[in-house]
Order: sequence, then C-alpha cells, then structure tokens
Amino acid sequence: MEEKRIKVLIAKPGLDGHDRGAKVIALALKEAGMEVVYSGLHKTIDQIVNMAIQEDVDVIGLSIMSGAHIPLTRKLMEKLKEKGIQDKKVFVGGVIPSKDIKLLKEMGVEGVFPGGTPIDDVIEAIKASVKK
Amino acid sequence: MDPKAQELAERIISGDETVAARVISMIEDGEEEGFLVLSTLYPRTGGAFKIGITGSPGAGKSSIIDRLAYLYGKSGKKIGIIAIDPTSVKSKGAFFGDRLRFKSAEKVEGVFIRSMAHRGFSGGISKAAFGAECVLDALGKDIIIVESVGVGQTELSIYLISDIVVTVFTPDFGDEIQLMKAGLLEIGDVVVMNKMDMPNAEEKAKDLIAYIGDLKKDAPPFIKCSAKKGEGIELLLEVLEEKRREKLGMRREKVKALLLTFIKEELSRGIEKMVEEDPKFNEILHSVQSGKIDPYSASVHFVSELLKDGKMEDYKWRRKG
Amino acid sequence: MSSARYIKNEKDQILDVILESGIHVKPVYTPKDLEEIGFSYEEDLGDPGKYPFTRGIHPLGYRSRAWTTRQYTGFGTPKETNERFKFMISHGQTGLNVAFDLPTQMGYDSDDPMAEGEVGRVGMAVDTIRDFEIAFEGIALDRIGVGLTINAVASIILAMFQAVAEKYGYDPKTVSATPQNDILKEMIGRGAWIFPVEHGVRLVGDIIEYSMKVMPKTNPVSVCGYHIRESGATPAQEIAYAFLIAFAYIDNVCKRGYDPDEFVGGITFNFNVFGNMWEQIAKFRAARKLWARLLRERYNVKKERNLFLRGIFGGGGYGLTKAQPENNIVRGAYYALVAALSGAQTTALCSYDEAYTIPTPHSALISLRTLQILMDEAGLRDTVDPLAGSYFIETLTKQMEEKILEEMEKIEKYGGIIKAVSEGYIQRMLARQAYEIERAIERGELLKVGVNIYVEGEPKEVQLHEYNEESARMQIESLREIRRTRSSSEVKRTLKELEKATRDGKNVMPYLLECCKAYCTLGEMTNVFREIFGEFQEPSLF
Repeated sequence: MEEKRIKVLIAKPGLDGHDRGAKVIALALKEAGMEVVYSGLHKTIDQIVNMAIQEDVDVIGLSIMSGAHIPLTRKLMEKLKEKGIQDKKVFVGGVIPSKDIKLLKEMGVEGVFPGGTPIDDVIEAIKASVKK
Repeated sequence: MDPKAQELAERIISGDETVAARVISMIEDGEEEGFLVLSTLYPRTGGAFKIGITGSPGAGKSSIIDRLAYLYGKSGKKIGIIAIDPTSVKSKGAFFGDRLRFKSAEKVEGVFIRSMAHRGFSGGISKAAFGAECVLDALGKDIIIVESVGVGQTELSIYLISDIVVTVFTPDFGDEIQLMKAGLLEIGDVVVMNKMDMPNAEEKAKDLIAYIGDLKKDAPPFIKCSAKKGEGIELLLEVLEEKRREKLGMRREKVKALLLTFIKEELSRGIEKMVEEDPKFNEILHSVQSGKIDPYSASVHFVSELLKDGKMEDYKWRRKG
Repeated sequence: MSSARYIKNEKDQILDVILESGIHVKPVYTPKDLEEIGFSYEEDLGDPGKYPFTRGIHPLGYRSRAWTTRQYTGFGTPKETNERFKFMISHGQTGLNVAFDLPTQMGYDSDDPMAEGEVGRVGMAVDTIRDFEIAFEGIALDRIGVGLTINAVASIILAMFQAVAEKYGYDPKTVSATPQNDILKEMIGRGAWIFPVEHGVRLVGDIIEYSMKVMPKTNPVSVCGYHIRESGATPAQEIAYAFLIAFAYIDNVCKRGYDPDEFVGGITFNFNVFGNMWEQIAKFRAARKLWARLLRERYNVKKERNLFLRGIFGGGGYGLTKAQPENNIVRGAYYALVAALSGAQTTALCSYDEAYTIPTPHSALISLRTLQILMDEAGLRDTVDPLAGSYFIETLTKQMEEKILEEMEKIEKYGGIIKAVSEGYIQRMLARQAYEIERAIERGELLKVGVNIYVEGEPKEVQLHEYNEESARMQIESLREIRRTRSSSEVKRTLKELEKATRDGKNVMPYLLECCKAYCTLGEMTNVFREIFGEFQEPSLF
C-alpha cells in the first residue's frame, strides 16, 4: 500500500567527524519506519541543501558536536529560504548548551536535541512536526 | 486538464529541481496529483537513455555508477541517478547510504541524485522508479542511471524500466552462478566484472566468461573494471553507446510488459481487500482450513463463482487499498 | 555508566553479571578458578618489568616514576594556547597534549571557506610554523613530552614541530613528540580523515621511518583504541582493533626493508578508561601481555624494551553525562583509579564539562588535581600492580586475553583490518552496538546516574568555555601577514619539490620540513597531497 512515509536527511555539516550520534539516530529513525538519507561527513551547507532538495525530505537533522552549531544552522536556514524550501523541518542535535536552544529556535529550527535526549523523544518530535 | 498539475509539469520542464523532486515523492506516495503531473509530462519524455545497473550487494554498483556518471557528465551530458534501497520488512523504514558513494558524480554540473526505497515492490526496484525516470527525463536529463536493490533472485523489473541493463559481478562471485540460472544474467545486456584489482581476478573472469558462454548463445559484451581505480569505465561507456540504438528499439515491448505488471499489481492490490471481506471467501477459507478442500481447487472454484455472479464489477479500482 | 548487564531478581539481588566483552562474572572466585584457567605466575604474569609485562613495564612501577599527566589542551590562537600550557605546567602537569582546531585537523587554512566558524574552536589554530613558534615559546621541549593530537596531516604538523624545535635551538634527537598519527581509527571513529586508506597508511609509515632516523625520542604513532571504544566498541574490540591497526603500520614499514626491532618501540597506544572497572583493569593487563607476545610471535621482535606496551590510558569521554555535571568529577576519579591500578604510564582525564564544550582552566585543573591526589595522597605509588594474584582479576585477565584474540580473529577472517575499515565492516558493527547501548540505557538496562536513575529534573548549567570570534579574526590576520611577507619563490620551490617527492613515493618528511621552514601554510601542503592522493571514500553504513 502506498502511503506517506517520513523522509529524513541526517546531515553532518562542517568539519566535525564525530558521527556516533548521527549514526545512532539514523538507525533509530529507520527502525521507526522512516526513510533516512545519511549525508556522510564533512558536508558543506550547499551540499546539504542540494541533497534536501533532490531527495525531497520532510526533515533535515543536523548533527554538530564541535560547537559551531550557531553559524552552521544560521547558514542553513538562510539557504533554505533562498531556495524556497523553508517548509522543511529542521532539527539540530549534538553538543548544544541550553542557552543556545532559544537562539536556534528563533532562527526557525523546529527542535533541538542536546546530547542525552532519549531517542524516542527525537522520533516523536519528528513525527509530530511532519503532521503539523 | 488540472491547472495545478499543468503548472507543476511546466516547472519541471523548465528545469525546476525542487518541483521535480516533490512530484517524484507524490508518485511514491500514490498521490493523485503526482499521476496527473506524470500524465502531462509523459508525452514529452523518451529522450533520455536509461541505464539499469544490477548485481549483488557489495559488487560495487554504486562505484561504477559514480564513475560512469562522472564520465558522461564531463562530456556535457545531464545525469539523473535513481538509487533504490530495500525497505525493511519489519519497520517499513529504509536507509539510503548510496549518496556517500557518488562523490565524483556530485562534482559534475547537472547531476540529480535521488534515493528511493523499494517499498515492497517486486523485481528489485520501487514501483515509482519508472515515474521518477519520466520526471527526470522531462527535467532534461540525457542519461538516467537506475541502481537496483541488488538483493538477488528477482531483479527482473529493472529490465522493464531500462533501455539497457548492466549486470555487475566481482571475482569472488560464487552463489551468483545460481542466480544466473535463475535469470539474473539473462537480463544483462552487458556484463561487468568489477574489482579486477583483486587477486585471481583474471582467472575468475575467464571462469565467468565460460559460464556465460554455456548459458547464452549470443554472449553479451564482457567488460573488466576496477571502479575504485576508475579503470574500464570508459570502455563500458563506449559499449553502452554502441548498443544504444539497437536497445531503444525494444522500448515498445518493454512498456507493454511494464503495463501488464502494473495492471496485475493494481488488480491484486484492489481485489485482495474486497476478497477478504467477501462472505463467500470466508466460507471457502473455512473449508480449506478444516481440510475439506485443497487450496488449488478452492481458488479455481472461488474465481469462477465470482465471474459467474458478475460480481467482478463490484471490485472497484482501488489505488489506496 | 554501568557497562555490564545485571540480571537481578525482584529483590534487587544480582543473579548474573555480563561484562561488555561477553564474560560472565561469578559471585565468588577462589584458588580453584586459577587452577581451572591453568594460571601460572611465570607464564601469565612474571615480575613487573619482566616478560610478558602483565604487571607493568617497569620493575618498580610508580615508585621509580609517577605517571606523566598530559591534559588535552588548546584553543583559539597560539598565544592563548601557550598561556594555557604554561598555566597547566605551573600547576604540576608533566606533559603536554595539544588540541588542534578542526580546520587544522582537516588540512584547511584559517581563511579557507571550509574553516568558517571553526577557527580556534575545539583546539588551537595552526597555519604556519609561526603559530608553533608562539605556542611553544618558553617551553622546554627537551624536557617535556608533547602529544600532538593530529592524524590526517600528522606528517605536516610533526615537520612543523621539528622545524620549531630546531629554531629554538633544540637538537631534534632530544625532543620527544607523540603525534597521534593513527589514520585508520579516524576512519573507524573520529572522522578526521582526508586521504584514501592506502595513502593515509603510507604517510603513517613515512613518519615512523623518519622518526627512527631523525627524532629517535619521538613516538611516531599513538594507536587509539580510545576513539574506537568511544564509537561503540567493547573493551575487547578496542584492544583487538588497535593491535591490528598497529600491525598494519608495522607491515608498511617492514615492507620498506626495516627490521621491526628498529622501530616498533616507538609505537604507542591510547586506550579508554570508562566502563566496568574490573573489565578495564583486566583489559589493560591482558593488552600488555598480548602485545609483547604478539610482537614476538608475529615479528620476531627481540629487544625486550621493544615489547613494552606504552601509552596513555585515560579520557573516559563517553562515560560522562550532561546531567548533573559535577558527578563527572567523581567519575573521573574512578577512571583515574582504574588507570593507576592498571599501571598507566601516561594519563589524562576528560574534564567534567566536556559533555558541553572544551574545558575551562578551572575544570582542567580539577582533572589534573584528581590525578595528583591519586599519586601523592591515596597511595597508588606504594607498590607495583597491587591487584596481582587476585583470583578474580587474574581469571578475568586471562578471559579478556581470549576475548581480544577472538575479536582479532574475526577481523582477520573477514580479510584484515584494511579491508574491514575500507568496506565499513567495523563501522557498521560499531554503529549497531552504539544504537543497542543507547536503547539499553533508555530501557534502564544500563544504569547512568542522573540520566536514568536518581534523576533530578532540570539540568544544571555550568560555567562554560566561551568561543571567541575575535581570536579567529586575529588568526586570519596573522596568516595574511605571513603570506604577504614570506618569500613566495621559496614557497613555490619547496612545494614543487614536495609534490615531486610525493609522486615519486619518497618519504615526504624532509620535504615537508623544507616547506615549513619556508612558511608554507598547512593548507598549501595538504593540497599537494589532496591533488595526488584524492579523498577517502566513506563506506556506506547499513
């Protein structure tokens, strides 16, 4: 039966190569019935946006452990707008201090998952955002 | 004609990748709108050369596609790649990792890469793959490469949606010989042995050529490659181009088989649920379960009853199941 | 975090304990257990400092010398890093371990578009030898060992280090650097790879070959089971894969016609300390013994001191939690205790705020003090290998040894470590294990205080290291200044020679040294390699 499946791009922007979290989430989303595209390491924001367009994902999940989440996310949000695909839901996960969560949300990020967020919370948040 | 579908179709033809990608999703999800766009686009397609790549997991299909796309791209051709991955039976989810391997392809201008889950469709592709091909064709791609799931036994559908099919082997082939007998090789218009940098590769290539000679009268071209090193891909491209003309002549036949496949699929999908709800089905099922009648006779009996009653007409076209 | 699985009854009594490596722990161990495993003091332990070195590589252990403390340090500009180095040394730190920012690790100059937002963030920014001149100003390079946490471009950074040592008047024969220089583990875990496997391994080999001739006190490789473990490996896998990686490097150098005895002494390790403490202690003891034995068996290494498993046992990053961050100080203390009981020669601890960002001076100092308290107050220097002879520990050590060998065999059966890494066999396995661990924590099968037991609600914020954008700006400015003032003909000439040597398959180190002296930038040198080698093809995940 054809039905709407949630399609997610798990992306590693920038130079950070710590991908344990990204891989765990990718695996978890697949097990939760989603179709998951994994970007691989060291991608530029342009490459990520291009993937998001061609794959027509519903959700973009950025995994950033280096602390550069603010500039990288800002750049992504600008690019999405420029390409007219700001309807994609963006989530950011990784080493994110609490004080930055508000800032990220102001940029239009749908949800932030700092290290230690239970996997099921991530799955539920993604499902809820796509239903909206 | 639906004005919105018309507009989306126009945008695809004018080269809008975002819309093309969106329409592919609609076709995947079985949305009416998607098929409307497709029917608008369909008369404008047919220009692209469609290459199917099949072979076991780990044979290096993605690497070959990467290099092939790069070569085609360098010669100024616009490339579309459709990579099909399996859907998990248990979770219905899928994981697309092939993009990682399209590193050189990504560097050329005008490459559009799309991952698709096969979503339970038989034959090593996803049902929407043909639709995706049409969309990419309309988007202006000259070459469309489709990578099959590659899980083995039945990769036959890729034959129907491709103009030419390349079957990829590696020197450590073994069980594949069984697959060849099951038809994997028969669909190969071109046979590639990849990973020729492995030890004993030459010897194994000879073995494979001999096997193929035994199986088929007109042995397909055999090409030795090392996608990792980029060797043999130029030759592959040459062979593909050489055979292009001859292969395009088979489109009418292929599309007939494809149409039949789709009809069968639609029918069985639509009917299944109706049958299950039919009281007569439950009656006869009970008889089978209690051992009164065998399932063969039961099915023949059930269908002839159905036809006699004229009940078939009640079985409506059901896309959404 | 509890890493073992506990089978309990409804009264919270423990019925079974299953360690990560798959070993079941019994409630009581007696002399009979030693009998069953065929324990022999001579063969399995030997005296400290004697083959097979299970009890340690020095006869008197910490009595003759306390461990070297080497906290991972570096951020912002070289000047800021230099100040932090001096701060740590003034507080009794006995070694350095330099953290580089991501652009440096990935071979990009600070003004490269790829470096945007990352300059000086997770470590010190390095563009040219000028940065090293500043970073190591006033540091006694002939007395203090320097760890350089760098892999893909380790060759360039080591050449820069030699150049700066010479500039400050030190004989390269007297300086002791430890570039991490373990590219295969980057492909398994940490992700800071650039070049394809075969070229990556070649550069590792170049460094080993060069060090043995020019910088004999330098340890050219630190093979990091550490990051493999952080990626989801069991303790047995951590050791097994690290050994196989080390063998791959040794093979590369042997192929150049050297006798293993000439260089294997320079190969060191970096292992992790989080997890069930008994399993870790047994891991380290088994590793020391196996390394010595395998070097003898596989490579016919003869000199005793070349059989030593040396290195840093420390860190513990994955064990730390974001919740209730001060608990990480306590965790660190236990991890350090494990390292001390295992006879760690060098150590360092992840600081309690590392689940958030890089450490503040305050948190780095707490880590250092934790290590000092063990040595100077708690009595860990009193006697060598105090747990030796324990029915439990000796049984477990022997069992760990078997598990490590089993894991090695699995990879060799697959076709060897190079194949397993290139094709993603190990990466896929570890990702799956990491996922299972995360799920087990969520199900409460693995306990994490503050996370899934004794939870306190809203997480506390800690004082964090703040990234300074101004540092990045200054770094870029200073790089541009160098580009303006250096001799561009020298730069061109040395780069050209580097290119030729690289293509001809020569050892690149002497050519890199010349480039560094000519103030070529890290990015310029890396680009020579990028052009010739291409890039690593990341294997697909599932």
